[in-house]
Amino acid sequence: MSGFYEVFEVFSRKSDTAPLQHQFSLLAPNHEMALVMAQENFMRREPVSDIWVVKRSDIRQMTEEEKDALKRLDNKDYRTTKGYGYLKKKWRQYEQEMFDEKEILSWKGEIQR
Amino acid sequence: MAIVTSFERLSEEEKHQRFMERIEAGEKIEADDWMPDEYRMTLIKLIAMHGISEIMGALPEKEWVPKAPTLRRKLGIMAKVQDEMGHGQLLLRVAEDLMAPLGKTREEIMQDLFSGNLKFHNVFHMPAPTWGDAGLIGWLVDGAAIITQTNMLDASYGPYARALKRICAEEVFHAQHGESIILALAEGTKEQKDMLQGALNRWWDALLMFFGPDSPSTTGTSKQDITIKYRIRTKTNEQLRQDFFTKYVPRILSIGLQLPDETMHYDETEGKWIYRQPDWNQFKEIIRNNGPKSKERLRLRELSYRHNAWVREALSGSKATV
Repeated sequence: MSGFYEVFEVFSRKSDTAPLQHQFSLLAPNHEMALVMAQENFMRREPVSDIWVVKRSDIRQMTEEEKDALKRLDNKDYRTTKGYGYLKKKWRQYEQEMFDEKEILSWKGEIQR
Repeated sequence: MAIVTSFERLSEEEKHQRFMERIEAGEKIEADDWMPDEYRMTLIKLIAMHGISEIMGALPEKEWVPKAPTLRRKLGIMAKVQDEMGHGQLLLRVAEDLMAPLGKTREEIMQDLFSGNLKFHNVFHMPAPTWGDAGLIGWLVDGAAIITQTNMLDASYGPYARALKRICAEEVFHAQHGESIILALAEGTKEQKDMLQGALNRWWDALLMFFGPDSPSTTGTSKQDITIKYRIRTKTNEQLRQDFFTKYVPRILSIGLQLPDETMHYDETEGKWIYRQPDWNQFKEIIRNNGPKSKERLRLRELSYRHNAWVREALSGSKATV
């Protein structure tokens, strides 16, 4: 049966807004079968709103050496909120609250004075 | 599959009704789903404008990369400019997928920008002559952008909502980056304080205009009713402007700055901020690319697009256009 099956990687979303998550891989002869099998294999219970199947041969994966180069040095705090944590104390001196992630993302709802 | 066939059999009217039921139930629409033409065209206009504004918005800030006062500030503002370009790429991808059925690509977005058919945000037509302006852009222009972007986090169009989620998470750093610059100036010498106040005075009207006119009668056109109808956003332009005041006016005042509008106050009985209207005729001129820096920045964008054409060509085997 060599050449009949191909490896497919399966991704899915729990809800319309959730990030796509890698589930696992499976063998299937084509995309349509891969989709049916993905549902049977990985989505028997949990809620799911979308499923993607991708031929592994279409994915450019990284080599071990390339992955090694992804490691970060801890010298980028000017780029993260960590580097600005001192603002919390500063704003307090002016009787203001710091605009952190929780505060800013809460602005999608009603804003009260 | 059976479900697909039965959906294809629905009339346009039934499809429209099903579409409205879906978005009213909070479901997200995806690029390949059926959608009314008005929805698609509104999204293309909104998201292409948003995406291109991120890219044009990097231009006034990048002017300050070589002139930043310290190495740390240089790293900070570089990181921020890089984020803005990243946001532009995310949003243009969302717009491109919507334009694909019309046979249009990124090339058309760029050409529409150069020809003036595609507008970019009014604030990015303005000059940034001092380091105070650089800080103020990060603080208040980004603050205004955060107010409008968080309002669309639950947008009915799934790809846009997901892009905004990523963008807003990075905006937290932008907000703090801007605050860090302006607080240093606010606590600095008299010259630094004056520089900050000067920047606020220069940017105030542009900030008010950022949210767009209260109603179409002000400038002749406004898409806010359509975007609310289709659940792309929930608040009107004026509600967003009021939210911006609520969040930022107390902060502006707390660090000793003065509002360049002596009539401004919060009316307790009406429950809203009273302020002097900016000159909306000037707004119309600005977004027609007749602002102080419109032509210069468009030229810069066009030149870099042309100068980099050889790279696209080299990578595509001579398919790219100049």
